[in-house]
Parts: sequence; structure tokens; C-alpha cells
Amino acid sequence: ATPIPNKQLLGIDPQDLSFYKSNVIKCKDGSKKFAKELLNDEFCDCPDGTDEPGTSACPEGKFYCQNAGHTPIKIFSSRVNDGVCDCCDGSDEYNSNANCTNTCWEAGKVAREKLKKKIETFKEGLIIRKEEVEKANKAYAKDEADLAKLKSDEKVLKELVQKLREQKERIDKLEEEERLKKEKEEKSLREEEEKSKEQEIKADETQNFDTMDNHEQDGSTGNLDIAVESGNDNMVESKKASTQTAEQHVGEGHDDTLESSDGISQDGEISSYEVPKQDQDDSGSTEELSREELGRLVASRWTSEGADQTTDKIGNVEEDLMDQDSSVAHEHKGYTSETDDDREKDDDDDDNFEDDRDDEFEDDHSSSDASYIADEYEKPDPLDSIEVSSPTWLDKIQQTVQSVLQAFNFFKTPVNVSDATHIRKEYDDTSSKLSKMQSRISSLTEKLKRDFGKEKEFYFFYDQCFESKQNKYVYKICPFKQASQDEGYSNTRLGSWDNFEESYRVMVFNNGEKCWNGPDRSLKVRLRCGLKNEISDVDEPSRCEYTALMSTPALCLEDKLKELEKKLEQMNTRKPQGHHDEL
Amino acid sequence: WKKDEFRNCNQTPFCKCARTRTPHSLPRLIVSDLLISDGHLTAHLQPSLSSEDDVSAGDTPHPRPLVLRLSVYQDGILRLKIDEDYSAPSAPSKQRFEVPDVVLPDFEDRRLWLPRVSSTEDGSISSLYLSDGFEVVLRHDPFEIQVRRKRSNDPIISLNSHGLFEFEQLREKKEGEDWEERFRGHTDTRPHGPQSISFDVSFHGAEFVYGIPEHASTSLALRATRGPGVDHSEPYRLFNLDVFEYLHDSPFGLYGSIPFMLSHGLKGSAGFFWLNAAEMQIDVLAPGWDDSAAAGNDRIDTFWMSEAGIVDTFFFVGPGPKDVLQQYASVTGTLAMPQEFAIAYHQCRWNYRDEEDVATVDAGFDEHDIPYDVLWLDIEHTDGKRYFTWDRVLFPNPEEMQKKLAAKGRHMVTIVDPHIKRDDSYYVHKEATDKGYYVKDATGKDFDGWCWSGSSSYPDTLNPEVREWWAEKFSLKNYGGSTPSLYIWNDMNEPSVFNGPEISMPRDALHFGGVEHRELHNVYGLYFHMATADGLLKRGNGKDRPFVLSRAFFAGSQRHGAIWTGDNSADWDQLRSSVPMILTLGLTGISFSGADVGGFFGNPEPELLVRWYQLAAYYPFFRAHAHHDTKRREPWLFGERRTALIREAIHIRYSLLPYYYSLFRKASISGIPIMRPLWLEFPEDKKTFDNSEAFMIGEGILVQGIYEEGQKSVSVYLPGEQSWYNMRNGAAYSGGQTHKLEVFEDSIPSFQKAGSIVPRKYRFRRSTTQMANDPYTLVIALNSSLAAEGELYIDDGKSYDFEQGAYIHRRFVFSNGKLTSSTIHSASLREKKFSSSCTVERIILLGLPSGAKKAVIEPGNHETEIEPGPLTLRGGASSVALVIRKPNVRIADDWTIKVL
Repeated sequence: ATPIPNKQLLGIDPQDLSFYKSNVIKCKDGSKKFAKELLNDEFCDCPDGTDEPGTSACPEGKFYCQNAGHTPIKIFSSRVNDGVCDCCDGSDEYNSNANCTNTCWEAGKVAREKLKKKIETFKEGLIIRKEEVEKANKAYAKDEADLAKLKSDEKVLKELVQKLREQKERIDKLEEEERLKKEKEEKSLREEEEKSKEQEIKADETQNFDTMDNHEQDGSTGNLDIAVESGNDNMVESKKASTQTAEQHVGEGHDDTLESSDGISQDGEISSYEVPKQDQDDSGSTEELSREELGRLVASRWTSEGADQTTDKIGNVEEDLMDQDSSVAHEHKGYTSETDDDREKDDDDDDNFEDDRDDEFEDDHSSSDASYIADEYEKPDPLDSIEVSSPTWLDKIQQTVQSVLQAFNFFKTPVNVSDATHIRKEYDDTSSKLSKMQSRISSLTEKLKRDFGKEKEFYFFYDQCFESKQNKYVYKICPFKQASQDEGYSNTRLGSWDNFEESYRVMVFNNGEKCWNGPDRSLKVRLRCGLKNEISDVDEPSRCEYTALMSTPALCLEDKLKELEKKLEQMNTRKPQGHHDEL
Repeated sequence: WKKDEFRNCNQTPFCKCARTRTPHSLPRLIVSDLLISDGHLTAHLQPSLSSEDDVSAGDTPHPRPLVLRLSVYQDGILRLKIDEDYSAPSAPSKQRFEVPDVVLPDFEDRRLWLPRVSSTEDGSISSLYLSDGFEVVLRHDPFEIQVRRKRSNDPIISLNSHGLFEFEQLREKKEGEDWEERFRGHTDTRPHGPQSISFDVSFHGAEFVYGIPEHASTSLALRATRGPGVDHSEPYRLFNLDVFEYLHDSPFGLYGSIPFMLSHGLKGSAGFFWLNAAEMQIDVLAPGWDDSAAAGNDRIDTFWMSEAGIVDTFFFVGPGPKDVLQQYASVTGTLAMPQEFAIAYHQCRWNYRDEEDVATVDAGFDEHDIPYDVLWLDIEHTDGKRYFTWDRVLFPNPEEMQKKLAAKGRHMVTIVDPHIKRDDSYYVHKEATDKGYYVKDATGKDFDGWCWSGSSSYPDTLNPEVREWWAEKFSLKNYGGSTPSLYIWNDMNEPSVFNGPEISMPRDALHFGGVEHRELHNVYGLYFHMATADGLLKRGNGKDRPFVLSRAFFAGSQRHGAIWTGDNSADWDQLRSSVPMILTLGLTGISFSGADVGGFFGNPEPELLVRWYQLAAYYPFFRAHAHHDTKRREPWLFGERRTALIREAIHIRYSLLPYYYSLFRKASISGIPIMRPLWLEFPEDKKTFDNSEAFMIGEGILVQGIYEEGQKSVSVYLPGEQSWYNMRNGAAYSGGQTHKLEVFEDSIPSFQKAGSIVPRKYRFRRSTTQMANDPYTLVIALNSSLAAEGELYIDDGKSYDFEQGAYIHRRFVFSNGKLTSSTIHSASLREKKFSSSCTVERIILLGLPSGAKKAVIEPGNHETEIEPGPLTLRGGASSVALVIRKPNVRIADDWTIKVL
């Protein structure tokens, strides 16, 4: 084999040199062979570009630039002698008008510095990551233990509730019998009185109704107020009819939630039906529009922003629908969160209510609730550790229940009111404890089902939200839960947690709020190594498809660090002669 | 598609009324006072009065005669004008609108001086010389014009053969008469009353008629709109409209209008052009529409209706289809020679949002080795849709951004629309208001309509002074943030007015010289396009060829820039209809046109997107564009395989750029389009007449689109007697047959005609700029006598120096085993020179019997090898042809290469 002349060496990766040594060279794709003098002769013989590594003759060729002082790269053959300097050493423009200066040393220096910094970050990040992983695994194990404990406690509590319920029902029955009897007796007495007082009572009632109505219109806290008031009313009003108070209350609260969620889904349906209608339905109706309104309306077809922009009142079916649509959407948003609030506050009030009457479990109770209320993803742990870990509270309940049950005498008529109240209260308390416990079990189960990464490195993401402000928007990303874009008081759901992608390098949130005339919103968060958990660069490259970057120690991986260190090592060894790396 | 928003014929009084008329039901028109003056024939047209009228002729005023003028121009063109007689005593005070600036200024120089008119003995018929072998016959009573072959007396085109000519003369409003027209809450005051014109035109010896864009259709040939066998159809409407989500098959009017129709059949071709910019409706009548028993198959009758204007019509005798196109081009002009970058690939989206987005997309092309030449910015780049401004938050450094692209040889296009934001702090609005440059409403105030910019007004570009002013806005000084590598896109110039009748301007709006909008509606977009192109021309001191893309167009728009088919949708049917739409534009002069790759509205399935790139790579104007609600669809977003397929499609276009550029040059001289219906090349092959799926690029390449999802095979008709070579694998197919072919994922069927030579470049670059010095590949497909020929045109790709002779124009002929390159440079143009050091690196010979081993190059008696080689330089390509290696002759020189 003859040595390869210099010109023919162009563009060849040093690792490949041996391949080009023989006098007859094979195309790498095996399609044919070519004589060495055809190497880099500006004529493409191998369709895969084997014979023209140093020219632009083969479209599929690659040109190797050594880039001494920086990183060697392979560029597309289309860049060779195209008048644009692509290699920092300028070697790709050996036969063109381009005047490329060798910038490798300077550029390389910058690149090395950058790489060094990156390596530093990785090193530090790796330490943080290790700690976090350790903590996460401990916490995870504790969660598992807690869950097991909760489940066994649940069993006990369930039995107690069952017993109390049986007792309570018996009392109810007795009392009902007594009440019927008493009613009969009083009926005849009352009949006369009622006749004369009828008018007055009616007036009173109407007044009462009015007050109630007003409360209802108070907005978000309306339901709550009613619930509380009616509770209190019952308390004060009826010693005799106190039987149903608590139950009613629970029932009411429940109904409220149901109703409001029903309302939402109905509204949602309405709006989704009405969107297509808009398209068909505009014949004739545009005539009543002002000229500006009509302009906006037509523009909105292309932009899909019409609804947002049209703030003016518009006396037209189509626009109305559009407005309705958007306002429904807003309400929907508001509603969901408000309902959440309601529920939380309901709980709060429950507590207060209970506390008013009984402070026996005050500590346990309110603290456990607080952590629950403070929301699944804002406080570190939805489960109160004291409660779960303390063995006494359950015993305490057991004892109390036991004593209450024993104290009650079923054979005494009429029923001892105070004892009956006691039983009922105990039943209410215990069953509400149970339901809270069950919701804790389910939320913990939910949590533990999650994929927290190979080493549970994302465990602490579960209860955290990350925010980033970009222009007028605040992006709030709660891993494993949801992501939103908030602007002042309005917030737009960008998506609910879907999964990790690209082996835990991307977090995906899907099925966010639907874009008018577009897809459902979605968000992909690309993760990279960093010392803190931080969101940056939220972007919307395609309409309603958002992307964000997030740095986190969780991504500071050992393998990657090694890779980077190797790269730096290579860069340092490839110093061009005459230069001294001051590193 | 908001059907109800647009007026149909029945809601349009002039159309409804004209369409119900039956042949010969109107009073006869009689020609009188015939004389030759200034080389024209002039005469009066007078309705005959029935005997009843004669008797009662007391109170009804005698109708004024119309003035008719016939003129004859070189190469077989007849011009017929009919207008009011403004010299008559009761003549109207208002002149009807005659469209200026569309007919080429030098057209009058081509007029033949008519020395005399010969009439028959009984005086019932006069005839005129038209061109060799053709004459014009004017029948006096009833009036009829006929263009016919001299010896055989075979008619070619005739007007008023069915007596449907009707001309509503301007008149005083009678008491109690209501001229107003209302449509969907809009009132058209119609101050000048009814003034419509309608008439019938017959194409004799025609099997199909084509033309009259713009309509979306999957058929190139125009389908009948009235008569036996037609259920119910609107006439073809010519009214420039911004139609939201248009249908792929409908006679309703779209963004542009060209009232030019061609006919073709085995007996020849002919053309008819009515220069009139008012709303027009055209019926193509099915045989037997007039209840005539002798419904011949060799005639197509058409019925033309217009709301206003005059009769100014042109008859083109052909006889070949290319003759008709050249005749039409001699009236309205040929395409402006574009810069080379403009015929390469364009990347657009509503919207590339900011400088970072631009940089990322630009880098994406480099990263994936996909060439592109132009990056486009849609309306969102502006400061609140104030054109000539930038959103400085998103685009803080527009000059720098453009310079970065320019450093890679790339260009940028920004959008400039005609709706000017009515904002007193916006200088364009302020100037236009102060100078009174806006279109006025019916009351004389500046017309105020709603568009992207909100409350907006529209420059009255009918006024030359306004155009001058508008053009100045494009100077580098006036357009802040612009650089010499920035070009322009005119959208919404129908004009689109969101709150106007039919999303456009009210017909009673007033233009320069008191012209009503109704009279010039269809030409408004052309004037805006013209003024913008003039602006870029001025910016470059007349040395830089402008590039302006426009959506609205009219006859003559080809002289100002490119046209695209507007807001299409991402579906297979729209891919299919893009071909007849672009072919029709080409036939009517607009050769530089294309459809948005991928479809503007909606998200194309990846397969559709790939097929669209594969087809669009052959469109004369090749641009990807997308609505802002759609998913991103830059070529590399659909997986590696798809990226490779799209790259390959775009590479095909870049490899063919030398061929395309030569075709653009040819089109700019002759008016023969780049993308052609098959029958333009094979006018005697009946099977091609109704083919809407395949097309020719120049004379050498036939392309068949793939318009169905998952299509496995396709039938391709290859016309003519010569063979065709599959451009994918070099396989030969015989002509004159339909071939059933397997469909591949990697390309759509394309063939090179035996007997053609196609110059190509097989080196791929970032953009055309870097290709300037790259060597050529000649692909020679030999015919049955082992001969072939082709051409190559080269210039600097940018300036007008070619007009002074700075170009290279080669003719390649292969015959008797020898390839010869000779110049076809016009000897009269030698003021400037263009030189090129480019060489030919490879000559691919298809159809040469194997055995050739060597080639000898003269001058120099220099030998080079011939060896089997592939057709394309792609991994896995197999040897299918003989290749002359590295002849390395200079493209600019004369030489011969003999195959041994």
C-alpha cells in the first residue's frame, strides 16, 4: 500500500485512516470498490460517500474536521467549500472564497470552561442527588409502613363504627316510637292553636327563606355558611329533633359537592356541544352585529382568539355562544378550585364545629386535618405523623366507645337524651375519623403507585410544585399532579400528569384545557442536571403545546458525569502545538 | 366554508336575470355605420325594434346605439370593444370603467392597420384579415362575430351566435325606482343603477375548455354548469374573495380572477379573454342546453355575465395550445423573471414567533441537512399588525436576524397587507389620511373596515400617485429593520374586509377618478401587488429582481410576482386539487404559483405531508405553510424515516433547479408555463385532454401525483410515441400506453421523456446561494433514434444584467453518438457578460446500448471513461445507466463529446 497523499487525506477521521490504506478501497456500504486515486477526486463513486470524505461530491458523505484545540466534528459533505466556515479550524473551506480563520483555540477554551462548569455542577449535583435518593427511600419505606398501619387501624375503626351504628339505629327507632306517640297526644291540642297563629308563622318562614337565599348568593362561602348556620340552628333550635342534625349536615355537604360537580359537567357538555353549533349557526344572525363586531367575529375564525378579544358586549347569538363558551371555561376553572376550597373549608368547619362541642381530640384532629387541607401537594406529607405513629389515639377511641356503649341503658324509657346524644356524637366522630382515614389510605396508595424513578429520585417531586414567571404568566408545575398557566386570577390547566418519557428525562402532562379550534393543551418538561429544582424557558412552540426546561439534581447522573469528564480529557489532550493550556 | 356568507347567482340580480334568458329572446342587435378609422373597424350596434315598438314609439326614448370597435393584432389576435356612445346626445355623464394597466403598454405597437373591410354583396356580412389562414367575420343582422379559418370557413370562436348579448346602458333613475341591493345586512347603494353585460361565446371544434381561475377543483377541464346532465350548479364565479376553509371542488370564486378561457380539441386550440374587473359569472353550457336538436360534440358554448364595465375582449386563434398562450401573453405579459432563490424551497408558518424561534428553525434545517432558501414571517411579527413595523419584544434585532440568515445565503420574507391600522400614531396611516390616499366609502369618507389590524383603511392603489407613495415605504430607510435580503408577501389583498359584504369591500366604495369598487374589485389585488413589487424594485435601484408573493390576482399579475392558492386544508382532496389549480394558473399566465405544502388549515397525517412534499417539489412555487393552530411541522418532526423522505423530496427540487431556472427564463419570454398540462405537450393525444392528475415540467419531465392514503399502485398514462425513463430507477416505459405501477414510499412517479436532456446539480447545499459554483450533471434520455436535446439558461440569479446579455444560454444536442453544446445567446444583446467557471462533472446516458467505454472530448482530444452508474447519488442506488465520468468541460464553452 502506498501512503495517502495529503489532499486525499481530506476529511478522513484519523480512526478511519487504516480503512483507506489499500490501493483498492471498498465502499463502506459494500456497493463497489474503487482505486485509491479516486479517493477525494471530486466524483462520487460510492453512493454512501466513502470515496469522497473530503469533497462535496457525494450527498451522503461526511467531512471530518480535526479542530485542534476544540472538539473534532463531522459535518455534512454539503458544507464542504460552500463558502460558509463550519469547522472552527476552517478546514472545510480549503477551496472556496470564504476566508475562514482558525478560531478553535478561543472557541475551545470557552467550550472547555463551560464543560468544566458543567462537570462541577454534575459533581455537586450528584452528591445532592445521593442524599435525596437516600432520604426518598427512607420516606418511601415509611410511607409503606404507615399505609400498612393505617390499613390495620382502619379495620378496627370500621368495627367500632359498625357497633355504634347499630346502637344509634336502635336509639333512633326507640325515639321515633316515642315521638309518634307524643305527636298523637299533642295533635289535638295544637290544632286549635295553629288555626289562629297560621298567618304569623307563614310570614316568619318567608323571611327565613329570604335570608337563606341571600346567603346562597354570597358566592364561594355561601354553601359553607348555610351548612354552619343550619348546623347551629339545629343545635340551638331542637333538643328534640337533634337526632338528624349531624347526619343531615353530612348529607348536605355531600349533596353540595355532588351538585356542583354535576353543574360543572353539565356546563362542560353544553359548551362542547355549542362550539360546533357556532359554525353552522351564523346565517342571518350577523346582520344585527355592529360593523366592528362583525369584523372581530370573522377574524376570530382564523385566529381562534376571537372569544378572548371580544370584550365588548355582543348582541349576537354566535358571539354570545362564544362568550358563553369562554366564560363557562373560566367558571369551570374557577369552580373546580372553588369547590376544592369549599371542601377544604368544609373540613375546617367540621373541625371547628366538632371542636366547639368536644375538644377531646383537638390536637390530633386539627393538626391532621391541617396537613390534609394544606393540600396534597403543598405540604410534605398529607398524613399526620403523630396521628399515625401514636398508638394511643385508637385505643382512646376504643375505650371511649366502649364506655359510651356500656353507659347506655336500652331498657329505660323514655330514652335518656344525654346518653343518646353521646352515642350519636360518638358515631359521627368515629365515622368521620374513619372516612378521613380511608381518604388518607387512598391518597397514600395513590402516591405509592407512582413511578418515582429508578432510584426513587423523583419521590420528593410528589409533594412539590415549581413555579416560573415568564412575562405575564406564572407557570405552576406540580409533578405527578398537574401543570397550569396562571395569569392574575385566571388559571389555565396545561395538563394532568401523564408519565415520564425518554427514560426519566421528560415529564409529560397531557389533556389540559382544550384550545379553541385547537388541541388539548399539553406540556413537556425537559429535565437536566442542576443544583436546584428550577423551571425555566417555558415555551409554546406549537399552539397549545408547551415545553419547559427544569434543572434538578435528580438528573445529575454518574454515567453522564463520566462521559463529560472523558470529553474534557479529550479536549485537553488535543491541544494544538505551540499552545499551552493553562488548566 | 361559510356558504351563506357569499352571494350565489340567484341572490345576484344581474346573474339571476341573465341566466334565465333563452337564446334569441332579446331584441336583435344590428350593425350599422360600419367604417374603417385609424386602422380600426368601427360601427354602431342598435337593437332592432319590433313592429309594435315602431307604432308605439312615442314616449319610450329610442335606445342609444352602442359603439363597436374591432382591432387586429399580430399573431392572430382580435380585439372587440363595445361601449356606450358617449358622443350621443343623451350620453351618460359617467364613463364606464375600462381596466387600465393590464394590457401591455407595447401591445398597441403590434396592431395591424386595417386598410379596408370587405363585405358581401348583400351587405349582410363583413370580413377582415386576421392572420395567415384566419379571418374575422362580422355578421350585421343579427350581430355576430366569428373568427374562422379562411379556406374551410370553419368557425373557431364566435360571439353572440345565440343572441344572448345584452348591455344594460347607464340611465337616469326613474321615479320610484329602487336601485339598492341588500345582502346579509349590507346595503349596496348602487347609485348608477344596473349596468351589467352578458353574452354568449362559442368555441368551435373544442372538446374541452380550461382556464378562468380561481376555483378549487379536482378537474383541470371546466365542467358544464348548465344544461342537460347538470343537476344544479352555480356558474363559475370570478370575484376575488377571502374564503375561510374553501372546498376542494366548487365553482365559487376564490382569491383571484382571470377572465381568460382556452379551448382545446383535436382540431386545435383557441382562447377568449374579457378584460373586465367587475364581478363576473361564467356558465359552461352542456351540449343541448339551447334545446337544439343538433347538439354537436364539437362545440362548447359558454355564457359570460359581468356586473359592470365594458366589453373589451380578445380572441386568440391558436391554432396550437402554446400559440394561444403566447397570444394571451402578448396582451397581458409574461412572468417577471424571479431571482434564483425564489424558485427554491420556502419555509413559512403563521407564525415563527420570535428571533429565537427563527434561529432554531434555521438551525434545524442545517442539523438535518435539508436545504431551504427563505424563512417567512407572518402577521404576528409586526407591532400590532402595523405593517413595516416589528414587535420589538419578539424581534428586537430584525436586521441582525436577517444578516444571520444572509450569512448562510438565505433570505427572509415578511408580510405586508393592504389593511392599514387606523391609528393616528402610525405613520403610514397618518400619511395616507393626510394625503387622502385611502379608498373612500360611498359617502366620500375614508373607508373604514375591519381586518387583522382592527379598524383599518385601504390604500387606493388604483391611483398611480398612491402606488408611488406605497412603493417608497419599502426603501431600506423607510422600512425600519429591513435589509436587502428581505422580500415581501402581500396577503388579504382581495381585499379582505372582515366586516364587509362577502368579507370584502362594499361595491359602492369609491376609488381614484370616481371609479366604483364594483368596477375594479377583481383588479384591486393586482394594483397592490404591483405597487409592492415596484417598491422592492426601487429599493434595489432597479438592479435587484423583486420577490412579492400575492394571494389576490388578476390577468397580468404574473408581471409582479408569485401567486399561491391561499388557505387550503390538510387533506388528500386538497392535495389533489392543487394540481389542476396550479395548472390553470399556468395556462392563464400565472406560471409562478404553488399551494401551501401540508395544507394551511389542519394537521396533515405524516404520510400526507410526505406526499405533499414529493408533489410540491415540482410546483413552480414551493412553500410550506401552516395555520397557527396547527402542530409544528418542520420537516424533521416526524421521525427519522419521514425526515429522510422529505429531505429527498426537497433535494429533488434542488437538483432540478438548473432545469427549473431555464424553464422560468423560457416562461418569462414566451408565456409557456413551467408546469403544464399533458395536452400542452401532446395536443393531439386525446387521452391527455382530461388528465388532471399528471403534469409536465417543461418538455422533458412528467410527474404523477399520489393522492390517496396508503396507495399501493397507480395507473399512469405516458403520452406520445417515445419511451419514458423512470427517474427513480431508470426503467424504460413505452409511450402511448397506460402503465400500472407500484407506488413507493420514497417518491411519486416521475419520468424523463426519451429525447430530452435535463441539466441538474447533484451537490446539495444549504441554499441556492452556495450552489452557484457547483458542477452540473446532464441527464440524457435517448429516443428511439438515439437522439436527445435540451437547454440550459444561467445568469447571476439576481440582477437585471441578463437583459443586457449577461447570461449563458446553451443548447445541448445528442445525435450520432455525439453530444454538442452550443450557445443560443441572442447576438443582439452583448452589452454585459456573465461568466461561469462551472463544469460538467457527469453525463448520464439513458437508453444508450451498453458497450461504450470511452468518450472523447473536443476541443482538446481529451479522453474520459464511461462506466455503468446510478441515476441518483443515494445510498443503495444501483447502476442503471451509462455515465461519462468527469468530462469536466466548462458549462459556458462550446464543446462536443463523442461516445466511443
